[in-house]
Amino acid sequence: MAAKKLNIKDKYRLLTRDLDWEFSYQDRNKAFPFEEFEGIKITDWSKWEDPFRLTMDAYWKYQAEKERKLYAIFDAFAQNNGQLNISDPRYVNALKIFLTGVSPLEYQAFQGFAHTGRQFGGVGARVACQMQSIDELRHVQTQVHAMSHYNKFFDGLQDWSHMHDRVWYLSVPKSFFNDARAAGPFEFMVAIGFSFEYVLTNLLFVPFMSGAAYNGDMATVTFGFSAQSDEARHMTLGLEVIKFLLEQHEDNVPIVQRWIDKWFWRGTRLLTIVSMMMDYMLPNKVMSWKEAWEVYFEEAGGALFKDLARYGIRMPKYADIIEKEKEHVSHQAWWTFYTHGHAAGFHTWIPTDEELDWLSEKYPDTFDKYYRPRWELAKEMEAKGERFYTKALPQLCTTCQIPMLFTEMDDPTQISYRDSIYKGDRYHFCSDGCKDIFDDEPEKFVQSWLPVHQIFQGNCGGPDVEDILRDYYQMNVGVDNMDIKGSPDEERWKKWKGVA
Amino acid sequence: MSYEVTVEPTGDVIEVEEGQTILDAALRQGVWLPFACGHGTCATCKCQVVEGDVDLGNASPFALMDMERDEGKVLACCAMPESDLVIEADIDVDPDFAGYPVRDFVGTVTDIVDLSPTIKGITFALDDDMEFQAGQYVNLRIPGVEGTRAFSIANKPSDSRALELHVRLVANGAGTTWLHESLQVGDTLDVSGPYGQFFVRKSDEQGAIFIAGGSGLSSPQSMILDMLEEGDKREIYLFQGARNVAELYNRELFEALDQQHANFHYIPALNEPQEDENWTGFKGFVHEAAIKYFDNHFSGHKAYLCGPPPMIDAAITALMQGRLFERDIHMERFLTAADGAEEQTRSALFKRI
Repeated sequence: MAAKKLNIKDKYRLLTRDLDWEFSYQDRNKAFPFEEFEGIKITDWSKWEDPFRLTMDAYWKYQAEKERKLYAIFDAFAQNNGQLNISDPRYVNALKIFLTGVSPLEYQAFQGFAHTGRQFGGVGARVACQMQSIDELRHVQTQVHAMSHYNKFFDGLQDWSHMHDRVWYLSVPKSFFNDARAAGPFEFMVAIGFSFEYVLTNLLFVPFMSGAAYNGDMATVTFGFSAQSDEARHMTLGLEVIKFLLEQHEDNVPIVQRWIDKWFWRGTRLLTIVSMMMDYMLPNKVMSWKEAWEVYFEEAGGALFKDLARYGIRMPKYADIIEKEKEHVSHQAWWTFYTHGHAAGFHTWIPTDEELDWLSEKYPDTFDKYYRPRWELAKEMEAKGERFYTKALPQLCTTCQIPMLFTEMDDPTQISYRDSIYKGDRYHFCSDGCKDIFDDEPEKFVQSWLPVHQIFQGNCGGPDVEDILRDYYQMNVGVDNMDIKGSPDEERWKKWKGVA
Repeated sequence: MSYEVTVEPTGDVIEVEEGQTILDAALRQGVWLPFACGHGTCATCKCQVVEGDVDLGNASPFALMDMERDEGKVLACCAMPESDLVIEADIDVDPDFAGYPVRDFVGTVTDIVDLSPTIKGITFALDDDMEFQAGQYVNLRIPGVEGTRAFSIANKPSDSRALELHVRLVANGAGTTWLHESLQVGDTLDVSGPYGQFFVRKSDEQGAIFIAGGSGLSSPQSMILDMLEEGDKREIYLFQGARNVAELYNRELFEALDQQHANFHYIPALNEPQEDENWTGFKGFVHEAAIKYFDNHFSGHKAYLCGPPPMIDAAITALMQGRLFERDIHMERFLTAADGAEEQTRSALFKRI
């Protein structure tokens, strides 16, 4: 028999220097001070299986070619006035949410993986985190570059990073990542590497990027594909982390289960905004949020949890509630933004009659019964010149920071309220899931920077909402916000298209 | 029309239909390739084509770079063969895999015995010595049956001219019905082999747990006879599952080995013993016998599972909950035509199980 060929694993080992070293005169525990404090027990880092085998040299080569292709398409998009080929100016408002809400998370992921990678005693995990960190930095850069073209033609994209730090609804994604990054390294990996990257980003990248394609936005589609080619590495890293933790020590199993419970709940709450983008903000629809949820979460996630059951891991807590929520959350969220449209950094609108019919068809059990009548009322009011904007500031959930917009799932006419008393103060939550998370780590969540509380405490300027929007959020009041009808975005679009 | 695709470095051979992707064919035929997205955007399943022509399919230009296309890289989830192929995938070769070449043999039936009411033991004399690793299987060509049927080898490798197979009668199974009802001593059949990645990892020194169900005793029988013949000193446990005493075949063989070898332990389990059989051994499924014997702590062992898919599935869960994981679990699933019927969505969590 001929000599066996080296497989890719052996080649990888031989071609890369072993980056680890022995701590001969320093205390190893001091070099990795966060490795033990979460209670995770690692008995043997050598059992870590590299989820992908990519040398740094090959990595730069691949990423360089991806960038060349991507920027060629951005250039072509700009030169051909690609903004004129989108389906409808309403579509750009989904991009405004993406740029202010999602792209900054890529930046937080870059920082998070850089920090977390440093904390692992195992060299394989360190290298994998380092590559993911650089990927995430590339993602935020390409997204900003892709959308900078729209910034020349549409409002609301000009100050995304400032807005991410301050605007009320953007504290939802920002605090999600802050929570993960303020956790220990293993919780960060379960939160972002596993729960978010493996299970939840598919819901962002697959249906939403298809949405971009359906709406003529080739620049966004292309950065989606470019990012997706990195996502696979991120997903395999997330899977390896979870296997590694569960196999290293049985004491890790309940800890990992608690993190899965926490981060699946937090993740589904965060995706509420994506549900609304898909059902209400894409003028040309791909599939409903409910359908996307069934394919990408229930089927794919169900197969995953069936396999995880072998380790003694069960479905995330409140999976039964999550299953019911797919019928409701997009409608509840868009209604909230519609009624707070004067305080949003993007435009809102009433769905067209065709869109209302589409929603009725996609949500036969809930839309006509609970949500369509509201839109019919909104239409009547708008026709009378009384477009509704609420005067009140919403109460926020202390954990997810989303306004109290979710209902009881068994009674969609009743807003869901929960509360806990901690050291004499009462804290409010949107759900049992968020209350449990608080009760488990109250000292962390009493520090939540809740935008509405901050406004009432006078920390955001004011006193009027308009002052806050203009001075503290740096929105162009009357331009970035309010209904799409009569907005400068709409007027410009009509002029470009030559319609009255 | 189908093409033969050889997957290096393991040398597994798969049949890929016209218009079928390499990944789809591989997973359906039990050959694991790394994969994630399944639709050409992530590049987890990137392979090198060593020989042959391929249609690249819908591989994203961001997942499969131009320079890689020039080098003959393909994404297995999109690539469709246009000729027979040799590809190299990012998979590990087991250091214990001997890689004996697959050859064609003619087997003459020398003996047919009723091992149990549903299982026959069929012994052939081969026309040449077959080199194989205990645990591997052969493909048998059966008259009037399209394609071939796979059966694990039950004899030990040192009996290289003989071939012993255990054949369970599958309801409405054309191949096993013919073997049970029409095959006679003196008949000849075409045999090819050896195949498969199921063998004892002898370089690993941990104790070996064998869990066998039904005619899935064949491979463990070969493996255990081979180990004991070589004077292997590790602790060896055989859990044999059957419905009742009548189905518990070759019991005397293993009870005798248990007496002769201090390091061999035989634990039979019956899930439906008959009243009149006076069964005093373990009552329940075979994986439950293993849980009880090891008090739910399996770590520090290698496990070898052989039998029908539900038994394998239950055994894997039992082992993993008893802290024995994928790298230490090896298996041969005995699939029948009926088992492929229900396709299930798979997660990418496990490679082989």
